[in-house]
Amino acid sequence: MLTPLQAIKKKRAEAVNRIVSKGYLSTKRVYVGMATCEIAAGSKEVMEVFRQAIAKGLTDIYLSQKGCAGRCNLEPTVEVVEEGNIPVKYGRVTPQRAREIVERHLKKGEVITEWVI
Amino acid sequence: MRDKKFKLTLCDGTSCIHNQSKALQQALQAELQRHNLTEAVSVHLSGCLGMCSKGPILIVNPGYILYGRVRVEDIPEIVESHLVHNKAVTRLIITEDHLYNRFFRIFGDVDFFGKQMRIALRNCGIIDPENIDDYLSLRGYEALAKALETMTPQQVIAEVKQSGLRGRGGAGFPSGLKWEFTANQDGDEKYVICNADEGDPGAFMDRSAIEGDPHTVLEGMLIAGYAIGASKGIIYIRAEYPLAIKRLEKAIVAAREHGLLGEKILGSDFSFDIEIRLGAGAFVCGEETALIHSIEGHRGMPRPRPPYPSVVGLFGKPTLINNVETWASIPVIILDGANWFGTVGTETSKGTKVFAVAGRVHNTGLVEVPMGTTLREIIYDICGGIPGGRAFKAVQTGGPSGGCLPEAYLDTEIDYESLAKAGSIMGSGGMIVIDEDSCMVSLARFFLEFTQDESCGKCTPCREGTKRMYEILTRISEGNGQDGDIEKLERLGKMIQRSSLCGLGQSAPNPVLSTLKNFRDEYEEHIQSKTCRAGQCAALLSYTVNEKCVGCGACRRVCPVDAVEGTRKEMHRILQDKCIRCGQCYDACKFDAITKA
Amino acid sequence: MSEKIPIFINDKEYNVEPNQTIMQAADTLGFKIPRLCYHPKLSIEGACRVCIVEVEGQRNFVASCAFPVSPGMKIKTNTHAVRRARRDIVELIVDNHPMDCHTCERDGNCELQRLAAATGIRARHFEGQRKRYDEDLSSVSVIRNPEKCILCGRCVRMCSEKQQVHNLTQAHRGFNTVVMPAYDLPMAESVCTACGQCINVCPTAAFLEKNYTQELFEQLNGTDTVKVVQFAPSVRAAIGEAFNLPPQNMEGQLVAALRKLGFDYVFDTQFSADLTIMEEASEFLERFQNKGKLPMITSCSSAWMKCLEQFYPDLIDNVSTCKSPMSMQGAMTKTYFADKMGIDPKKIYSVATMCCTAKKYEAARPELMFDGMRGVDVVVTTREIAWMIKSAGIDFVNIEPEKADHPLGLSSGAGAIFGATGGVMEAAIRTAYELYTGQTLVDIEVEGVRGLKGIKEGSLKMDGHDIRVAVAHGLGNACKLLDVVRKDPDRYHFIEIMGCPGGCVGGGGQPYAAINTIPLDDEALTQRAKALYDLDRGKTIRRSHDNPDVQKLYKEFLQHPLSPVSHKYLHTHYKAKLPVGIIPKDAKNFEVK
Repeated sequence: MLTPLQAIKKKRAEAVNRIVSKGYLSTKRVYVGMATCEIAAGSKEVMEVFRQAIAKGLTDIYLSQKGCAGRCNLEPTVEVVEEGNIPVKYGRVTPQRAREIVERHLKKGEVITEWVI
Repeated sequence: MRDKKFKLTLCDGTSCIHNQSKALQQALQAELQRHNLTEAVSVHLSGCLGMCSKGPILIVNPGYILYGRVRVEDIPEIVESHLVHNKAVTRLIITEDHLYNRFFRIFGDVDFFGKQMRIALRNCGIIDPENIDDYLSLRGYEALAKALETMTPQQVIAEVKQSGLRGRGGAGFPSGLKWEFTANQDGDEKYVICNADEGDPGAFMDRSAIEGDPHTVLEGMLIAGYAIGASKGIIYIRAEYPLAIKRLEKAIVAAREHGLLGEKILGSDFSFDIEIRLGAGAFVCGEETALIHSIEGHRGMPRPRPPYPSVVGLFGKPTLINNVETWASIPVIILDGANWFGTVGTETSKGTKVFAVAGRVHNTGLVEVPMGTTLREIIYDICGGIPGGRAFKAVQTGGPSGGCLPEAYLDTEIDYESLAKAGSIMGSGGMIVIDEDSCMVSLARFFLEFTQDESCGKCTPCREGTKRMYEILTRISEGNGQDGDIEKLERLGKMIQRSSLCGLGQSAPNPVLSTLKNFRDEYEEHIQSKTCRAGQCAALLSYTVNEKCVGCGACRRVCPVDAVEGTRKEMHRILQDKCIRCGQCYDACKFDAITKA
Repeated sequence: MSEKIPIFINDKEYNVEPNQTIMQAADTLGFKIPRLCYHPKLSIEGACRVCIVEVEGQRNFVASCAFPVSPGMKIKTNTHAVRRARRDIVELIVDNHPMDCHTCERDGNCELQRLAAATGIRARHFEGQRKRYDEDLSSVSVIRNPEKCILCGRCVRMCSEKQQVHNLTQAHRGFNTVVMPAYDLPMAESVCTACGQCINVCPTAAFLEKNYTQELFEQLNGTDTVKVVQFAPSVRAAIGEAFNLPPQNMEGQLVAALRKLGFDYVFDTQFSADLTIMEEASEFLERFQNKGKLPMITSCSSAWMKCLEQFYPDLIDNVSTCKSPMSMQGAMTKTYFADKMGIDPKKIYSVATMCCTAKKYEAARPELMFDGMRGVDVVVTTREIAWMIKSAGIDFVNIEPEKADHPLGLSSGAGAIFGATGGVMEAAIRTAYELYTGQTLVDIEVEGVRGLKGIKEGSLKMDGHDIRVAVAHGLGNACKLLDVVRKDPDRYHFIEIMGCPGGCVGGGGQPYAAINTIPLDDEALTQRAKALYDLDRGKTIRRSHDNPDVQKLYKEFLQHPLSPVSHKYLHTHYKAKLPVGIIPKDAKNFEVK
């Protein structure tokens, strides 16, 4: 019988394993803001662009949603995290911008600086 | 900052100075010069970052990489590796940080987040709120496990009391005391309620917190359930928040699946479950006794206190009610300890507060700052000041029940007492910035329109009195103000403040009384000279044609009441007795030839 | 008793009982803090804010009705600030109230009027928009006038807490708040039981009975009808209050005044109370002996009958089939009396003077009709008849008492006590015991069923059988009792239910509370009941079956209790009513409107 702290540590380890098995250790992690405010600003469509890209063969990407970080006037926001590099956060991402992020940042590794917050 | 490649922030608090941060500054400057980086890198000093045990702290942005216990001899390596080669020096990065620090690693957004400190929102924008694994991976539910395994209920309450946490719903009652009162009540059945009935217009702190991190609310409630001996929790959330509700539902299901809700949680003897009740969107249901009535299935109306809900609450049982932000802070207090929490904030108000900043600022949004941050820091440093070069006029804190503070109060360090002293309230955290283009009479009228409409109608001062105040404000803004109206507003306002049944009524006159105090001359102008300096009160405006007029006739054509006369290519004229002050001529004129006054 | 605690009121120290509110403590010390929404029998609303006082250490004024005293508390009831706030609060109420006192039915009897005078409102500072609503005249019993409502919530609490009808509630918000039945139904279609308790507790004229006085005056002036009136037991006990007299039996004065008003025959509903006992006691024994449906529940109270039909349709078979005394009297007036006098029953104008608003509703019930006629053509309340007496210039206080007419005017003491809670039970016991055992019950004053306790229980030995009885007054208590019956149907044999607090003496048609008295307070109810018990004690005939006129009626017309003739004229039936908006579990048994 585990104590509560042992039990929660076991759960955490399992949780981390599950996250990792979903590809968390991919080269690039993409987070799309998906709170009510972000969705209202169009983040569902943005999310869809990334989903489509992965469906069409973009690999080595871990795609996840996240809540609102409070950056109301710059929503929707998309964050690209690359291990060892500085995370990049894009603001006012439209589906068009999202497609460019896929092409330029995710595929070619180019940070599109003018959209970075 | 945008033209700089990096921004370095060096902690310059007393403790860090002691730890030779001055020497670090010099070493840093020398090293930057050596690499010819002075142009590309800016160096800033910050106040205490609350991580003194790890100091001195150096933060590198973008990325908010946190280096701790930085020594002079580490500087060359940091500059060389991080600033030149863009590779962080992993051995110096603070890893075992406080829960709240985590966001530093992910937000690269220094302008906005530099002065923030996130406790309640520590996971918002970081984790996937619909995946319990994300929460678990970031020490989720560890505070619950810690409480269950290593603390007695009394110790949990003592910890919350010691932390100095105060209710974030508005009134700022010490949370620990509330917990203790409820725990001390005998009773086989007790309830824990999360008040997520966020009704202030423009406020979305609770929604954001739940949508971004629902589990922390559940964890806070679980810890309270253990502490006060309750086995049932209810989250009262307004039905207008469908996504928040969906995420809460998902979180509850996931927590049950993981044995974190239900019988014998984490193998202990503690059992607790949570259900969601939807509110129908009445502002007054944020008041705790009205909220309880609403859950019970009655009309949401407050009742006199005492008895307080901690004694006679839901279904007559002792009940502990806290709001979302309060609950979200609990796991941090349990995990990092009351002592640490107590280092954040001011003497009387500990921890952080979330504000929803709206109005005339560059960066509108949700900010969480330590208590004691000044209004100026929030408005200018975090939110980027007022756009368009216009002048700051006032800031309204505390939502529709709050007060309007003029420039003189900008350096007020925010806590419950200082805001009250200044004539406003903390409230649930609404903050609206107003510039010179806003009329204070109209503003007061706008807020009062809301509160008098949302009055539950139970007590006389609020039901009848706010209506009368609204009528007086309306006539003032329509140019029908009379001598004595200001005195009537004050007399009614003070009576309503002191006589109303609940907090809604007691605070409803605040916008009027605070603008009367700070902007009385604007009221007098409206009444005496029938003018509105902000040009917002349509009835007080007059439109005249000036010498720039070329006689194009555009104004004449758009005027809906034929109040413009004139022949082509000659200067036109506006007939003041016909004009309804709709402003269409003003908008139509391409030559700036119509004056609005 | 707990230790007294010191408090300071207006700088003077007093010792008071702990565990009470500031208002309660002040009341015992002779400080009557002005108040409006407060009512001692209802929960604390704290809504009107008129009773605010200053308490040292409290930032705001506190409502003295709700705030408990504590040792050393320093209370100020009359400072400039609190007086001004109180005055402004009352003005705010007055500002949103029609200024039609001269033409208002509550003129001179209005708590708001008194309060405005007491707080010294001589000028109005805050006048503005005033609420406008139409009167709801749909009900034959209770009319609702939201325009006069000051939202004290007394009616809402009375309707839900005491009566558990839950018809009235606040709706809408802020300035638009209004008290209404659910879904804004007209009163006639709502679940209102017409008990009229909202009228009793209303401080203004937001609730009134439907007034039939003008119609009645017109009829009394007509020459082609025979005008017959009856009056209920508790009318005589309370009508004096409308003439500033304490509660007392004013039967003789009432009979005289009714004759002066122009009635040809003045009968006493107490006669039919005796008749009801004959039928009801027989019905009970019939059920008891032949294993009929028990417990048997009385059916005299019209508000209670509507409550039953709506909320307890499963218990309809438990209810006695006897009509109420008023309806029996009406039936006997238009049959036995008409026949005896040789009058065409269609020419009889049958009037009932009742303590009750629901009787107006009852009189119009189609199932009570016989030979195509209504037994009672019009019902007026104690308040209405008192006004008519005043309006006709009759000196009620000094009038020479007279006696009611035969053959429907003589009554036993048992008939008199019908007006108080437990009275029907007591009267029934007196008769049933004798009918069953053949022996006369010696100790006829059944103390166990008297008094103002919400639910009273008792048992009686009849020939070795233990008869268990229960009495409830006020629909809320009735509901509690019936919930017990639903769970435990064998617990009682016989149950008396009265819809109003205290029974008929607390009826919805009784005179308004006088200055400085509280509507429906226990003191007034007890005094009214005492008048009836004294009337009983003063009579030589105290058992219904001993009433010679009742015996004569059976001999000449009805034959015997429960005879076919009785069944035709004195008994009825009830049918489940589906309240609008409530979906029953078993829909097919309900009559859907």
